[in-house]
Amino acid sequence: MNLGVRRSLDRLFTGLTGASIVLLMLVLIAVLGPMIYRGSGAVLFGGTVEFRKMQRDLFNRADRDALAAEIAETDEVRQVVHEMVDRFKKGIDIAAMSSQAREINREYGRELRYRDATPEEYTESREVARAIRDKLEEAFGSQDIELIRKNIAEVLAHKDEPRFKGTVAERYFTLATDFLDAAEHIDLSRYHDYLVALDEVEVILFGSIEHPGLLGPRPNQPARPLAMTSYGATRWDQAQSLLDRLVWAEKWVEKEPGQPLVKERSPRAELFHGTALEPLFTYVPEQLDEMLRPRFTVYWQFFIDDNFDSHYFGGVGPEIIGTLLITVVGMLFVVPLGVISAAYLVECASDGPVMRILRMSINTLAGVPSIVFGLFGLAFFVLFLFPRLGFEPKPCILAASLTLAVLTLPVMIRASEEAIRTVPRSYKEGSLALGASRFRTFVTVTFPAALPGILTGVILSLSRIAGETAPILFTGAVSMGPVPKSIFDPTRTLSYGSYDMAVGDRLAMMVPHNQYGMVVTLITLILILNAVAIVLRSRVFKKLKGH
Amino acid sequence: MESRGLTLTLGPSDDRRRPLALTPREDLLGFIGSYLGRAVLFLITGTSVLAVLLILLFVILRSVPFLRDFGVGEFLTSRAWRPTADEPVFGALTLIVGSLYVSIAALLFAVPVGILAAVFLSDIVSWKIRNVAKPVVEILAAIPSVAYGFFAVLVLAPWMQRRFGFSTGTNALNASVILAIMALPTIISVAEDAISALGRELREASYSLGATRLETMTKVVIPAAHSGIIAAVVLGMMRAIGETMVVWMASGNATQIPHPWWDLSQSIRTMTATIAGEMGEAPEGGAHRSALFAVGVVLLLMTFVLNIVSEYFLSRAKKAAGKS
Repeated sequence: MNLGVRRSLDRLFTGLTGASIVLLMLVLIAVLGPMIYRGSGAVLFGGTVEFRKMQRDLFNRADRDALAAEIAETDEVRQVVHEMVDRFKKGIDIAAMSSQAREINREYGRELRYRDATPEEYTESREVARAIRDKLEEAFGSQDIELIRKNIAEVLAHKDEPRFKGTVAERYFTLATDFLDAAEHIDLSRYHDYLVALDEVEVILFGSIEHPGLLGPRPNQPARPLAMTSYGATRWDQAQSLLDRLVWAEKWVEKEPGQPLVKERSPRAELFHGTALEPLFTYVPEQLDEMLRPRFTVYWQFFIDDNFDSHYFGGVGPEIIGTLLITVVGMLFVVPLGVISAAYLVECASDGPVMRILRMSINTLAGVPSIVFGLFGLAFFVLFLFPRLGFEPKPCILAASLTLAVLTLPVMIRASEEAIRTVPRSYKEGSLALGASRFRTFVTVTFPAALPGILTGVILSLSRIAGETAPILFTGAVSMGPVPKSIFDPTRTLSYGSYDMAVGDRLAMMVPHNQYGMVVTLITLILILNAVAIVLRSRVFKKLKGH
Repeated sequence: MESRGLTLTLGPSDDRRRPLALTPREDLLGFIGSYLGRAVLFLITGTSVLAVLLILLFVILRSVPFLRDFGVGEFLTSRAWRPTADEPVFGALTLIVGSLYVSIAALLFAVPVGILAAVFLSDIVSWKIRNVAKPVVEILAAIPSVAYGFFAVLVLAPWMQRRFGFSTGTNALNASVILAIMALPTIISVAEDAISALGRELREASYSLGATRLETMTKVVIPAAHSGIIAAVVLGMMRAIGETMVVWMASGNATQIPHPWWDLSQSIRTMTATIAGEMGEAPEGGAHRSALFAVGVVLLLMTFVLNIVSEYFLSRAKKAAGKS
């Protein structure tokens, strides 16, 4: 082969090997980057006044006086929105207005009964009131502006009659004027469209039973059962997207027959052109800042707070506690077992069939799939061992920790073995030559020298235990539930929570920052555990060296 | 160096008249003590053996009722997995094929990259760059599987759907790409060990004959290290086949064998995902639960076989490294 070709092939090969490592780095960035970016939004974000209200109500955490002043100021700005919506509604909500007219009629009748009026007067007043009601209803139901004007004029003609003075019937006339005022400004043939569009706007602005809104429920609305719908947009990014939905109406349009539908955006203000609601679509974007008062917030309590409404509000406190509990209890079992096993394998065992069986078992254990450990934990610890020890046979922290301890045993043994094996022979021989027994040599010389390496094994096992999900699915993890009181309770964990929020939860999809926050907390926790152990290891190392 | 902690007592000690030899009683106690100690240590070390035996025993015992009632034949050959139907059918063939399918697909991605990366780390870069590159591999290994699953289902799946126009983003391709990422650290570290264990002489001989690096690697070093590389691939396979969370979240969990067979964009379902997904709903004492344990037995047997294969090749690699 030509030398040039050989050389360029060689270069290509070298390039490819380098590219493979670059690819790995890119993969690492691609995996961690978006998750950390979005997850950081759980802690760092623009918190609105609604967020501060939520913190005050749910977590009892606020500067109450300052917050009350702030709320009063924002309410003032919001009042304009409420007025606009109400004014528009007066001309549109026919069903509501008709029932209002009927209500007035009924109440007027009741009022009349308690007045000393002659029977004739009573009958006449009732009839006039009824006639007014019918006129109004006719006007409400009509789409002809002339007819409406005529009816309303006829209603208003009764305005100054003394029999209505100071009675509930006066409300007829405000109703009539408001309606005429609204009817003059709208396209009467589009009542129905208006109603639907208004409903959409109201849900975006004030929320509904299921959807949180931009400003939260109106002051006169009944309290909502879920915390998530009881507040407006608590985060500025949420507010922005809701504002976007408010200003732009989305429609699925068929551009060409047979083609898939295309999403089209049009300004929502067009729908309400010429009506009392039109200024809303310029007022809200202009005043949103004043209505919500966003402020840069560091919500560090994310790591200690419990959550509300499937993680819509709050943090991952119980998950962190659960993960730490499972990890610590698991380590209590696996560290002594692993270190002692490793010591035996290095110091005592000689080559032979026993040793081979031991080695094979450890390797086999390392290869068993994690989900099979879950099956084993369920069958052995939960269903077999617990009833015989007098515990309740149900998934709990202890079962999960034991299962995970078995899972990480090989990791622990291998790392400790490696560490003990790398201690120089001269150390041991020096000790033995001074007359120390083998046990004493191990405890005072070999073990301290091997400690940094053993700590590495502890780190590896720690991060393994904290991150595993499959083995604890049936042995101790739950997606909902109280903070565990003892190791005989099941617990929420970061790992299972990450799974649950990624696939199992409709509400979680509405709060990607919390979704990603959970998994980033898990990753961060594991990296921190590693870092702490590494620092510890380097300290022990230094001490051993005698510096 | 100052002698901290070291106190030298000069002059005769108090019990200098004591003979150096142990008394018979001390000798006996020491003898018994050391053997007792060894026995206790041995028992503790035996936990691993015990654990393996218990795992085998309990997973197999739990699957016995199902295998007795339904028979192994249907279990291994039927493609229908309908555990909750009125007349339940438990055919695990689709699940077994699904597990093998994603694992092999994952290896197709992971092995070339893994071997190249191993060569890069062992033969090409300086120590400095190696110290930067190695932690990347370690972090990739440390990220918990549920985080990979999270990434697969919330980041990769929507992206694939947008980019390639798949009907669903959770499919065999998604799962195998993530499994490849997860298997890579194992493959790289084992393969790198095998390649760098070979020693300088082999390489120097090849270079001195005028071979380029490519030729040295592909014609001398990699063939010589083949046992270790095969072991690396087998260990990667083991990692992929036993992985649960990623395939559960990213594979789509459709009980089907892809048709045509090379179409990675279809959803599949694996053994591990089936156990994870259905165990919670399977009532205690029922055939369904028992069948899931039977799936666990199949999984266990597969990893045993892979384990034996990997150990065979690892021991050969050790011998090969010892010779050169």
